[in-house]
Amino acid sequence: MRLMGKTALVTGGRQGIGRGIVDAFMAEGASVTACGRGPRPDGLPEDCGWVQADVSDQGQIQALTSACPAPDILVNNAGVQVEKTVADSTDADWNLVIGVNCRGAFNTCRAFIPLMTNGGSIINIGSISGHVADPSMALYNASKAFVHGLTRSIAVDHGPGLRCNAICPGWIETGMLEAGFGLSDDPAAARRDALSRHATRRFGQPADIAAMAVWLASDEAGFATGQLFTIDGGMTAASPINTGLF
Amino acid sequence: MMLEGKTALVTGARGGIGRAIVARFLREGARVYAADLTPRGSLDAHDDDGSIFIKQDVTQEVDAIAAMDRVNAESGQLDILVNAAGIEIEKTIEDTTLEEWNRSFAVNATGTFLTSKYALPLLRRAGKSGASASVINFGSYDGFIADPGLAAYCATKGAVHALTRAMACDHGPEGIRVNAICPGYIDTPMLQSFFTGDGSGGGGKSIDQLQQAVRDVHPMRTYGTPKDIANLVNWLASDEARYASGQLWVLDGGLSAQVQQMKL
Repeated sequence: MRLMGKTALVTGGRQGIGRGIVDAFMAEGASVTACGRGPRPDGLPEDCGWVQADVSDQGQIQALTSACPAPDILVNNAGVQVEKTVADSTDADWNLVIGVNCRGAFNTCRAFIPLMTNGGSIINIGSISGHVADPSMALYNASKAFVHGLTRSIAVDHGPGLRCNAICPGWIETGMLEAGFGLSDDPAAARRDALSRHATRRFGQPADIAAMAVWLASDEAGFATGQLFTIDGGMTAASPINTGLF
Repeated sequence: MMLEGKTALVTGARGGIGRAIVARFLREGARVYAADLTPRGSLDAHDDDGSIFIKQDVTQEVDAIAAMDRVNAESGQLDILVNAAGIEIEKTIEDTTLEEWNRSFAVNATGTFLTSKYALPLLRRAGKSGASASVINFGSYDGFIADPGLAAYCATKGAVHALTRAMACDHGPEGIRVNAICPGYIDTPMLQSFFTGDGSGGGGKSIDQLQQAVRDVHPMRTYGTPKDIANLVNWLASDEARYASGQLWVLDGGLSAQVQQMKL
């Protein structure tokens, strides 16, 4: 077990990618605390700690540092998205997306960097959307680019005792992805089209992202820092023009 | 006129993009050597545009040496080199023969290397004169992300990108700037060959329908034209760009700024 004896905090651990990381860390022997804005989710393993906290609120970070005072691993996974262009985005949209995705990661990093053990690892969840734009996701795209820049800054400023990397997921099979297909006139065709744009011919699973998170958290990744690791089934390696699909 | 008093050599100068560059350079007041395999190049006709034709196979070292000897003898200077000669093999690696692979690298990568190598003494002299000398290589957005069935082409363009940075690093101190332009879909004979060749996909659609579908993937909803490329080449060649070096300039109508456009 690659994370035996290590302590981890995972934000946004209720579902999807965050929950996948919680499960993988526990399977590798880590002692895990997760947090989220709601109450403890059903089915979370009994020996996983849960803190109800909103990372966008500086006043709620104390609850996290109290529950997990000296983590080896911090995963900043909590994130939200609003599907709008810049012209349509409201102040409330800004506060929500920038609050959780940018301010949230900043809040936890600032609080935990002085507390983390020598050899600690911070893993931020960026996105392929921080490299290339998803249409009508302006604030989300920008917030993920912020996460990428923050990742490099922390790596540069807080090495050698601390490593910091980001994982940039592509399309991961979650409830959100299914809801997107549900909006299509022809959900089956939409799904086929999207799949054909992935070299793997499948979407990602939370476990695919968790697998990279485990490696980055482990001592095997001792020389990996300041980098953005894309896990997207090959989608962004390919041109958006695939004449075979037209 | 932005290039008055400057001498330029353009390889692949009779191709789609090359001709637009030559025409623009002439309009901006440069003396232009148009190097290609034949005066017609990849297009049907050749209008006498005022450029000086040089027969140069960019894969041949003797041709590069001869071209620079002639430029030196006739003009005594070279300020701008554009390495625009390129070919495209439309195949996966499994279908690509070793001969095709070697030819792709010979033209796209080795050609850029050889022409630049023998242009350096002239460019260095221009760099010392105070105004910077400028080399403009042709990379591609395919050097960043892959189009299906273009494996060797993608690889050669990745090589040109790295060579561009290396040249900028090595020869910047001599007053030589080196940049690469990375075009996306530009309406040229090479693009039309891509659509009528095996890369067309099809699905029962006509070439026109297919081309419209491709245009629609672009945020600008159109291909670029050779003129669009020449606009940036002209700027990079001019003294306005005197601090621009070592960069890869993507010009693709926003194509690579976006995530794949799935039909949802």
